[in-house]
Amino acid sequence: MPNLFTLVLQIAVILAVCRIAGTLFRKIHQPRVVGEMFAGILLGPSLLGWVAPQWSSYLFPVSSLGSLNALSQLGVVIFMFLVGLGINPKQLKSHGHAAVLTSHVSITAPFVLAAFLSLYLYPKLSDDSVAFASFALFMGASMSITAFPVLARILSERDLLGSRLGTLAIACAAVDDVTGWCILAYIVVLIRAAGSATPLWITIAGIILFALVMIYGVRRLLRRFEKVYRERGELSENLMALILLLVLISALCTERLGIHLLFGSFLMGAIMPKEARFVRYVLDRFETIAVTLLLPLFFAFTGLRTNIGLVQGREMWLYCGLIVLVATVGKLGGSTLASWLTNMPLREAAGLGTLMNTRGLMELVILNIGLDIKVISPALFSMMVMMALITTFMTTPVLELICPDRLIRSATENAPEEVAVPQFDLKATHGSAA
Amino acid sequence: MSAKNRRFLIAYVSLVVLPVAGLLGVLKSGRTLMAPSSVGGVWKLRINPAQLTAMPCGRSLASTPEPVMTISQSGQRFTLEFADGPRATASGLIEGATLSASLRPLQPWSNESGCGNDRVLTMAGTVDPAAVPRTVAGTLSVSDCPSCTPVEFHAVREARPGSKGGY
Repeated sequence: MPNLFTLVLQIAVILAVCRIAGTLFRKIHQPRVVGEMFAGILLGPSLLGWVAPQWSSYLFPVSSLGSLNALSQLGVVIFMFLVGLGINPKQLKSHGHAAVLTSHVSITAPFVLAAFLSLYLYPKLSDDSVAFASFALFMGASMSITAFPVLARILSERDLLGSRLGTLAIACAAVDDVTGWCILAYIVVLIRAAGSATPLWITIAGIILFALVMIYGVRRLLRRFEKVYRERGELSENLMALILLLVLISALCTERLGIHLLFGSFLMGAIMPKEARFVRYVLDRFETIAVTLLLPLFFAFTGLRTNIGLVQGREMWLYCGLIVLVATVGKLGGSTLASWLTNMPLREAAGLGTLMNTRGLMELVILNIGLDIKVISPALFSMMVMMALITTFMTTPVLELICPDRLIRSATENAPEEVAVPQFDLKATHGSAA
Repeated sequence: MSAKNRRFLIAYVSLVVLPVAGLLGVLKSGRTLMAPSSVGGVWKLRINPAQLTAMPCGRSLASTPEPVMTISQSGQRFTLEFADGPRATASGLIEGATLSASLRPLQPWSNESGCGNDRVLTMAGTVDPAAVPRTVAGTLSVSDCPSCTPVEFHAVREARPGSKGGY
């Protein structure tokens, strides 16, 4: 039985610290989400547990973390639905070769570099319960992800969503996320199948069947939601509850199939109708509770699992530096090179590379899965969380430095018409209000 | 094929197809790499309580019939803590199948008679990677105590909780 007082106290403290940190980070022109990620670290063993261990064990006793985790995971399930909802395959089509090459290179470059780095890190930061292939593939997937929502938020704040750079970045990030999640699903299946009585082929066949049913069956039913919205201008509470129920059922199906809850909610979002006003309406209904209340709990839970104290000594900090370097060179360098080769001016291409290097919350979601399935160790988890923070933090200042807004706008003069990208404000968390 | 399409194809092959081929090579060559033995998880220790009580800093540990320790491993390094037992800061190293750890007792454990603040318990053992569940056999000894006889221990790792549902 969870201690209700402790749980409510935890939520209150987390909300307060996240709001304060988010507001302070807004003052230095960072997305609020970066501040909230940082707040999570502050509440964990890296700071609170280190300077005030008594307070830390009073506020976050080990026995209470189950309830906190459950709530935070519910938030991530809804969040992943919103991420899937924000992804529109039509965005990619309008950019042709540039989007295809840039998005694919922005995945393969960090992925392959991470695999090479794994040759060095595996004997030092892993153990023999993890196969090298699982380790290397996980490192690749986690380094090739782009934080679609944070990226959309940065572009939105700078009024660049309609620019050529903005639409291309959104399209590439969408492809990256879908691909990254598919690769991650494969890794999770491989690892879980090793300890399961169900043969691997049955698991894979089940997942493919589920995806086909969702794409060709459930998707048609979902169009009715959009039809009702078009006719009435709103959805009733019952219909909103039905959407939430479908998200949860889809999440449960993928969990039962041996991948993860989050894949189901992401897929449900991805197959929802993509009419811009309908997407905006559904986002507005869900994001307040998910983003204001539940996601800060996820940041705090991640922070409680992040122990920077495990990164001890020059050697460990060298590994950490290498991870940040490889992630940045692979993502920023790869995206820049690819878009430059498709005739984008160099500075604009570097701007796109910088945007693609934003990992944010999506990285934390993936890293938590990796730690849960024990494919990464606690020290490596902490290093990767630092990498996620650094690469997300550096986006805004580096973008302003190498590719100022005026340059992007002048490059957009002859750009195609604006694509109906849901702005994915996540206004409660990432919004400019604070 | 137009010049634009040809350039795209060349770029795609060199920046996507070839690196993916390289990735397959990396995955193949990585199979031969050896990572340290896995020792992470919950372990049950079997130690002779009489011998343990006679050892400085050992009495608290002996009060539990089968002390349980939790190891959190990151590659060659690990941290260790006892559940419901004496509090200590403990960290260790695993090289090959050899495990070594230092436990520095914290209060109130260090208040035990003969323990003191500067004592360090040393755990040295050998992992049996073939055993299912995995086992470690070794000795516990105390620093600055030439007359203290090292105490032998045998530890068995509890089945690691499956990742399914553990999320």
